[in-house]
Amino acid sequence: MLKTVLAGLLAHKLRLVLTGVAITLGVGFISGTFVLTDTVEKGIDAQFAASADRVDVAVLPKKPGPELPAALLARVRAVPGVTEAHAMVQGEAALVGADGKVVGDSPTAGLSVSDGTLQRYEIKQGRAPRGPSEAVVDDGTAASQKFRLGQSITILDRRERPHRFTMVGVVDFGVASGTAMNGAVGFDTPTALRMTGMRTLKEIDVLGGDKAAVAGAVGGSFDVLTGKELGDRLVAEVGGDTEIIRIGLLIFGLISMLVSALVIYNTFSILIAQRTREMALLRCVGASRKQVFGGVVAESAAVGLAGSVFGVVAGLGLGHGSIALFNAMGAEIATAGFGLSPRTVVIGLLVGVLVTVVSALLPARAATRVAPIAALRTDHEPGGGRFRLAWPRATAAGVLGVSGLALGVHGSLIMKKGGSAISMVGIAGLLVFLAIIAMMPAFVRPLGWLVGAIPARIGGVPGRLAVENARRSPRRTATTTIALTIGIGLMSLFAVIASSAKASTSAQLDKEFPVDFQLEAQFSDGETPRTIPHELAAALRGVPQVGEVGEMRVRRSEVDGRPEEVGTLNTGALGTIIKLDFSEGALADLKPGTVAVNSDVAKSRGFGPGATIKIKTRRGVVPAKVTGVFGGDAPAPSILMTEPDFGRQFGAVEPTEIYVNAKEGVPAADARSAVEQAAKPYATVKVRSVVEVKKELTKIIDMVLMIFAGMLGLAIIIALFGIANTLTLSVVERTRESALLRALGITKRQLRRMLSVEALVMGVIGALTGVGFGMTLGWAATNAMAKSAIFAVPVLQIIGFVVLAGAAGMLAAVLPARRASKASIVESLASE
Amino acid sequence: MTSAYASPPGGYPPAAAPPAPPAVVATEVSKVYGSGDAAVHALRGVSVGFARGVFTAIMGPSGSGKSTLMHCLAGLDTVSGGQVRLGDSEITRMSDKQLTLLRRNRIGFIFQAFNLLPTLTAEQNIKLPLELAGRALDQRWFEQVVEVVGLRDRLNHRPSELSGGQQQRVACARALVARPEVIFADEPTGNLDSRAGAEVLGFLRGSVREMGQTIVMVTHDPVAASYADRVVFLRDGMVVTELTRPTPDAVLDTLKRLGA
Repeated sequence: MLKTVLAGLLAHKLRLVLTGVAITLGVGFISGTFVLTDTVEKGIDAQFAASADRVDVAVLPKKPGPELPAALLARVRAVPGVTEAHAMVQGEAALVGADGKVVGDSPTAGLSVSDGTLQRYEIKQGRAPRGPSEAVVDDGTAASQKFRLGQSITILDRRERPHRFTMVGVVDFGVASGTAMNGAVGFDTPTALRMTGMRTLKEIDVLGGDKAAVAGAVGGSFDVLTGKELGDRLVAEVGGDTEIIRIGLLIFGLISMLVSALVIYNTFSILIAQRTREMALLRCVGASRKQVFGGVVAESAAVGLAGSVFGVVAGLGLGHGSIALFNAMGAEIATAGFGLSPRTVVIGLLVGVLVTVVSALLPARAATRVAPIAALRTDHEPGGGRFRLAWPRATAAGVLGVSGLALGVHGSLIMKKGGSAISMVGIAGLLVFLAIIAMMPAFVRPLGWLVGAIPARIGGVPGRLAVENARRSPRRTATTTIALTIGIGLMSLFAVIASSAKASTSAQLDKEFPVDFQLEAQFSDGETPRTIPHELAAALRGVPQVGEVGEMRVRRSEVDGRPEEVGTLNTGALGTIIKLDFSEGALADLKPGTVAVNSDVAKSRGFGPGATIKIKTRRGVVPAKVTGVFGGDAPAPSILMTEPDFGRQFGAVEPTEIYVNAKEGVPAADARSAVEQAAKPYATVKVRSVVEVKKELTKIIDMVLMIFAGMLGLAIIIALFGIANTLTLSVVERTRESALLRALGITKRQLRRMLSVEALVMGVIGALTGVGFGMTLGWAATNAMAKSAIFAVPVLQIIGFVVLAGAAGMLAAVLPARRASKASIVESLASE
Repeated sequence: MTSAYASPPGGYPPAAAPPAPPAVVATEVSKVYGSGDAAVHALRGVSVGFARGVFTAIMGPSGSGKSTLMHCLAGLDTVSGGQVRLGDSEITRMSDKQLTLLRRNRIGFIFQAFNLLPTLTAEQNIKLPLELAGRALDQRWFEQVVEVVGLRDRLNHRPSELSGGQQQRVACARALVARPEVIFADEPTGNLDSRAGAEVLGFLRGSVREMGQTIVMVTHDPVAASYADRVVFLRDGMVVTELTRPTPDAVLDTLKRLGA
């Protein structure tokens, strides 16, 4: 039997290739993910190993445990045998950019850089800093700011006082320092301590001496590690990040495999149907049902293995290719050797073969049902005719669909908004999708009629025939299109959620920020929020182009014994620039001695209206009555008191944010330049407009959507191979039919167009189902997210998906169509 | 007996004066498959004409080249030498596209099996050639053809809902409704039982007698051939003899002499 299988496979190489491609793509993605993450990990490992190698002993804080006091350095240096000790300092030191404003939304990190043997970063240009007037800058920031070696740069210290330094080097601080996001500057250790205001050390690296001696000197409250142990710990810390990336990518890999499984299932179903005679002949000459079943399964295993082998090779290329691509785009991913581990190969092959064999099980069972006598009968078209929902399928679809819809309605409309409602909607989506899979064959004919209405009308006879062809085998068309539905459905789901998120936040911003400009200091993770000098607000009030100016002042304090943010908005701003959405009470109720509370805090702390809370102030603990609760996302302190109250209780506090409206009639550009002019003396203050905030938000959401779309693109490509596969097999099946049409006077071009239109109709059926499903689920998910969420449909994108699917379907038809039109009429008429 | 058909009833039409130019003429047509030692000469210089308004059968033993000749006459296959004319067009010089248009506009086909498109109803199948050609349908002619082949109550059925004989009658109607210059029929009764076969042959002959249609039919069945006005015999790729007003016995005798 095995011999028959292999001979059959070799005789139909094209069949083998088409089936294998789907598996190759899926396995390629999965193994590519492993190759990529393994290679990155290896590169990081090598980097850490290299830097940790230079260290003999390292002292680190315990986790959890106190930081290393700066004084510890002297104790370590005094240990006999220690030749060198370097204290690693890491805090914030805001670099001032070429435009006179601080770089980035968060301050650049300030690090200590050793100029001795313990220097563990990669110095790309120049040298390590020495003394109080030298600094180095990380390579990314140096490039974006166009800084050159030897030039003078300004860095703010902890108290925002500017200091001038000479830039003596450009340094790659690597992944371990965690500075990739905001950039970093480096000094020698004393300067780093002074600039960052840190009193503790992140780590002490030691050259010479031994672990026991150092451990004795520092005492038991800190970890003392050898160089090797240090390397292992660093690797473990970063390993978690690669793991997250890996899991994220693998989810998309699994989606691709699911689509591949559908394509393989369909291909094998068609093949079995077409080979009914072959199967029957095998039965005639004495093959048992078991042998026929085994034969099909063996065939699928062979195809799966071949496809997976190519897939693993493709994955190797994909993984390394994407690293090369990222590096070309400016990322610096260290690579150390070939990241193809035995695990990657095993997982790739196993997944590929398993998915193929499992997908072929049902078709294989169908093959065993072929009666020997079928060899002698002229069979009618496999899988053709109208599709009638048999009761098991109808019941399954009904139960899944109804329960899915019920859960969906419950999750999106009735349940409390938030995480569990979204999960509920997710489960509902899965159930409904399974119902769609079960029902799809019944949808094909009506959908085909709908989608085909235009092509059938304008495409003449070939168009009409094509639409009929797409509808003639509902099961086959259903499985072919469902593969496309998955990719398009998820894409529309993400597109709808993204566009709803944009619309919701945008509406929220408009409602709660009727401001033209927002001035804020660079965000910092320090103890107290960074502030803006009050003089700036005063100055702004004097600018002729400026209308209202609002200030928000905040203090971290304790309320009923637990930390909470208490603050105020200046009296003039409340109700004008900042409109709060009160769910209980009103703005008018906020009087001296009372507070309004953010609804999230009110809920979590139980501060309802009428409650009296105790606020710790500089005058001691004072009671305040809660008179109002306002919307959770408002730009206001969690506990809002009146301006006079706040001044009395906390004294003069600088604002953390200033809100500015342009005077009526002043063009936005004029107002902006006036505001910027006023803010110029304050290096840490950034002027942002709501429009900009919206733009940034949109950019981020669009980027995430793009990445998702890219990942889902593979699932769509696999589905297209499925369409090509189905069409190719259909062309083989309809050889005589095509010949008849050619004899009756259809031109080659018309024949090709017929297949294109058939593919177009299939593609659009799949896309419409996907779009419908994705949009509905997107609506439900948006509803489940938050009360204020707005459902928005990205109409152009959605239309784009459908057009894309149709066009791609037609592309998939090119090869089968060429094959069909090349066939000789006379030979085809004679063929069986 | 090789066939259970009854002999055609009734007499033959009076032999008219030799009709003006023939519908299809083959001149010295040869067809070679393969090359070198493996070359198979399917046709070796066949010259034959087919008059308008006449039902001609082409007969011959297996491998005599009768199907190849029909394919070459109908522009389905290319010739290796010689020429074929349909009316005043030389089809052996035409491009694939021209041939397609020729088949669409001027030729009708009836095949042995798989004659209809499974996705179309009987009516749609019948109208298919006209629609492909973009020609207007003569509704009265359509009604007449449908009446003759007896398909009135089957027009909305799909092929899978029709018997073999009914399917072949649909194919006949399809060929007739376009009023082509010539209809080529390739073993049209090969897959039918004798009664259905006789019906189909009856229509074909009727269409020649009553509608003046020209039909060229390839068959290996002497009874089927006896429905024709004239039988041309092929052997080893050459025309060897012919009969006019054949009877099944005369056809059978001729075949025997040819060594079939």
